[in-house]
Amino acid sequence: MPVDILTVNNLDGGYEVFVGKRKVFVHAVDNVSLTLHENEVLGIAGESGCGKSTLAKMIYGAIIPPLVVRSGDIYITTRNSANLKLNRLSIDEIRKRIWWLEISYIPQNSMNVLNPLKRIKDQFLNVFKYHDIEIDKENFMKHLREMLNVMGLPPEVINAYPHQLSGGMRQRVVIALSLLFNPRIVIADEPTTAVDVVTQRTILSLIKGWRENNKSSLILISHDMSVHAYMDDRIAIMYAGNIVEIGNVFEVFKEPLHPYTKALIDSLIRKGDRTIRKGLMGQPPDLINPPPGCRFHPRCPFAMDICRVKEPPTIFLDKDRYVKCWLYVNTR
Amino acid sequence: MSEDSKLRIENVTKLYGYGLLGLKKFKALDNISMDIDLTKPRIVVLAGETGSGKTTLLRIIMGMVKPNIGRVFYKGRDIHKLRGSEAKWYRREVQPIFQDPYETFNPLRKIDSYFYDTIRNVVGIKNRGEAEHRIDESLRFVGLSLDRVKGKYPHEFSGGELQRISIARALLTHPKMLLADEPVSMLDATLRVGILNILKNLKEKLNMVIIYVTHDLSTAYYIGDDISIMYRGTLVEYGPISKVYQEPRHPYTYALLESILEPDPSIRERYPAIKPSSIELKEFLIPGCRYANRCPYAKEICWHTLPPPTNVDGVVVRCWKYLDYKQS
Repeated sequence: MPVDILTVNNLDGGYEVFVGKRKVFVHAVDNVSLTLHENEVLGIAGESGCGKSTLAKMIYGAIIPPLVVRSGDIYITTRNSANLKLNRLSIDEIRKRIWWLEISYIPQNSMNVLNPLKRIKDQFLNVFKYHDIEIDKENFMKHLREMLNVMGLPPEVINAYPHQLSGGMRQRVVIALSLLFNPRIVIADEPTTAVDVVTQRTILSLIKGWRENNKSSLILISHDMSVHAYMDDRIAIMYAGNIVEIGNVFEVFKEPLHPYTKALIDSLIRKGDRTIRKGLMGQPPDLINPPPGCRFHPRCPFAMDICRVKEPPTIFLDKDRYVKCWLYVNTR
Repeated sequence: MSEDSKLRIENVTKLYGYGLLGLKKFKALDNISMDIDLTKPRIVVLAGETGSGKTTLLRIIMGMVKPNIGRVFYKGRDIHKLRGSEAKWYRREVQPIFQDPYETFNPLRKIDSYFYDTIRNVVGIKNRGEAEHRIDESLRFVGLSLDRVKGKYPHEFSGGELQRISIARALLTHPKMLLADEPVSMLDATLRVGILNILKNLKEKLNMVIIYVTHDLSTAYYIGDDISIMYRGTLVEYGPISKVYQEPRHPYTYALLESILEPDPSIRERYPAIKPSSIELKEFLIPGCRYANRCPYAKEICWHTLPPPTNVDGVVVRCWKYLDYKQS
């Protein structure tokens, strides 16, 4: 029986922004529930603008306006088995107690987040200072060398400035930085979108290796389904702020249930494949003014009357697999 | 194949500066030669990683960047020496499609104004009715129409639609050749296929030659006929795509094809381990084969002399491994 270390219950939120003088709410995360087990990779897939990064920010606890959480809870079990309600902690408390120690975040575009004026070793030293951790120089260098080695980086990197490294190397430095204190949960937001295929493989396999050694959990956010196929244990498919389907990665790829997942998997082009494929017409809805009922119904080939008025219920097929679609209501 | 019916890239080298003042130079493109027959409709893929020089090469063909050494001939004419009406003729013959559809269009300009500009200035049709007919015709080819586009601004369209509009605009001049620079990399997976199918249609129905630049080898195979693989400014392999995919000759092509991640979880245990890359610039400065640093077969000669193009069963490869093959 897998142990849950993170539980998200009916999380609902988005961005409050002003358009001129009118206040509008961008409903980016709509009633999302999910759990993260110990020692697993949970992938979150979806098109651009479907709310996957917003969900990641909320789970990370970086709820800073204009991002607001309207309802729902995030529970996290820490290393010393305390159960914390993450969205009730103040941001300072989260900074000191949660970030880096319990949850780490590998940002999107991570090759550009290093301070260009500081040597790599000083950037690492800063993190220690930030958490008031005393460490003598010798131990620090040893730890640093070890960490860089895990990411396949040569020791010369320690004294280099960021501009002296290539994009892929900088990215690996940032990843090493976020894994510094062996966090139990790592959230990686599109860790490989800005790099090319060979570097992508390298980075993913390094993250994979580190995770398997440390028995940590990873939440991997990506729009690239091949990345999910390579990394995930379970995958959640997001569409316009909803998680429409979640399940074991093998099952979801083999037998997608939700019409959106089906279309998504059908539109993937495999190497050495030339059969004509059809994409999906139309475009994702505007999150300021989402369509009523199921948010996918304007593009759905199976849309029924009920889809246009009422939001579909969550239908559990087993503990870890559910789908949100009216098509499966009677097959339960 | 006569001179009049091909695009000939002849020993093109482009230098870029680096370092503090950019005084030191490295070869962003090193001695690239390639012929493309314009009489046969086909899609030629230029594939490579970031920094392989594929976009620079495309820009040189477009005439936006001048090579330091070497020339590009289109139907027998040096495209970097075209002036006046000849330059306009080249613009009509060859049209670009860019990577990011959101940035291609000025957000404050109406979409249809681009069409009227192109048709007036490049094609030279002044009659309004005739112009509208021509615009509608090319928009219909990509599944849109003038009525849907008229008077609208770029933000009123999705990325997929904008990319279709971009293609329609390029079609206005009835070009012989399209230069597409990563036309689908900014789009979502479900919309990507639609654009690729349009490119395929252009080749089949309008007999066009399309140069498709990409780093995504799965979409390359989906639409491509020929492929040239680039690595750090050198062209390492060039030939029919099915031959290259079935039996990659160059060690780099092999590594590249092996490292494509496929959207299928059942084969994930089969990927081989790979070695993390070192600093890019160092590889550009190797006088010999740029891949020598990572290549498992690297010999002494690879480090100091660039291998000459060798034809192996109809595929051109630049690798010392195959040199005995040619001589025998």
